[in-house]
Amino acid sequence: MSLAKKLQTLKQEDFDRLLTWLDPDPERAGILYERIRWRLIAILASRGCAVAEELADDIIDRVARRVVDIQATYLGDKAIYFLGVMNNVHHEYLKRPVMPRLVEIVDDVYEKETTHLCLDKCLDKLSPHSRQMIEQYYAANKRAKIDLRKRIAAEFGISRNTLRLRALRIRGKLQACIEQCLET
Amino acid sequence: MSEKTEQFDNNNSPEFTDDAIRRFLFGRLSAAEHATLEERLFTDDSLEARVRLAEFDLADDYALERLSAADREAFEEKFLRSAERKRQLNISTALRDHFASAPTVAATASKGTKASISERLQLLFGLNQRVWRLAFGAAALAVLVATAWLVLKESHLRRAVSPPPIVRSSPSPSSKRETEHPHGPSSPPEHHTTPSPMPPHEPTGSPVILSVDLFSDASRDRDKIPLIDLPKGEHDLVRLQLALKLNQTGSYQADLLTVDGQSIFSSQAFQSAETNTSKVDFDVPAALLTRGDYQVSLRRAADGSKKTVASYYFRVK
Repeated sequence: MSLAKKLQTLKQEDFDRLLTWLDPDPERAGILYERIRWRLIAILASRGCAVAEELADDIIDRVARRVVDIQATYLGDKAIYFLGVMNNVHHEYLKRPVMPRLVEIVDDVYEKETTHLCLDKCLDKLSPHSRQMIEQYYAANKRAKIDLRKRIAAEFGISRNTLRLRALRIRGKLQACIEQCLET
Repeated sequence: MSEKTEQFDNNNSPEFTDDAIRRFLFGRLSAAEHATLEERLFTDDSLEARVRLAEFDLADDYALERLSAADREAFEEKFLRSAERKRQLNISTALRDHFASAPTVAATASKGTKASISERLQLLFGLNQRVWRLAFGAAALAVLVATAWLVLKESHLRRAVSPPPIVRSSPSPSSKRETEHPHGPSSPPEHHTTPSPMPPHEPTGSPVILSVDLFSDASRDRDKIPLIDLPKGEHDLVRLQLALKLNQTGSYQADLLTVDGQSIFSSQAFQSAETNTSKVDFDVPAALLTRGDYQVSLRRAADGSKKTVASYYFRVK
């Protein structure tokens, strides 16, 4: 067992208490939980943390254990509370000895093939207009990206920024669809 | 972004450009920039949405090899720090592979030409999707097979069933024609007939008349009896021109007999049409004659006498 690693199991009741503290509605609470976790990972990765996901889960665990103490008196944006705990966890991480990073060399062919299959299914679920846009946006070409997107934007009669935002939003839908497909 | 920085106007969180967001993802922001963006990321939903989209964009650029060498290293070292971002890269790679070989409207646009209306409609209704292509191909194949089957079937039917010859039936005298034709004014029905095969050709025209002069004092000797070569026609006649000793007018009755005296044919003999002659014509159907010797007995028809006035002999060869 690694010296720098302590594993604490988040009790189910603490987790439920955390979700309730975030939002009384369970569905909205789940969405908030995912958004907070994503933000933590993005920030920690940007700060150079090699184990950003692990640190983010540690932060959530600590907040969940503290909810019972603060839920009655805490005022303000609850997401900001996570930011404070994140800074503490990050400081502790920086004090850890630098461990050699394990590089994954296994090429998961099965996952890639499954991803391709799920992509086909999810593309078929897109509306024809969205399908058209995503096809043009990702069309393989040797030309510079800007030139192609300029042409495509002119075809749709929209600005390049609008094209980018719409295409990336469609991309996000595809991402969610594929991840759901992979889980099943 | 790629080497060419794209600057887009952002109404939301304008203090953070797309370039700044990408530098955040690479971990290249200054300490002050970093603190400001981090705090805004927790409170500004629009900034969160932009950063999420920037993650997709960065993964796409990496998969499509649009990043510089330095950016590629930063992507591998700083960006791929979570399972979710690794899934993003897998999906970007899958998108790259999926659209790498499929012809799209973008390829047409890259050639400098606008997509035609048909191409736009095709893409608008999703007709470019693989499933539609397969469906149309299957439908086209089914139509071809059905057409070929119908053509073959019709040709077989034509060979098997030949139209029956239309036989024109001649109306019998006893048929009631009134029932065949409707009463009242009406246009005559169209009469379609199929010509029946023509019968063998037969000589048409008047029958052949073979005139033979017979004299009553002619010998019955075999060497001297007149020989007649009969005509072949069914309706041909042998006109036996019987010479009279006495130049008398009147009507005569002639009898065709065998040499044994058996009667074959009788008819009235008429005065010959030839002028200045004392002959009577006795027309005998050639069909009644066969090979052998014959006798003609001439008698007067006026007085009803059966007495022979003259006898004549001939032979058919």
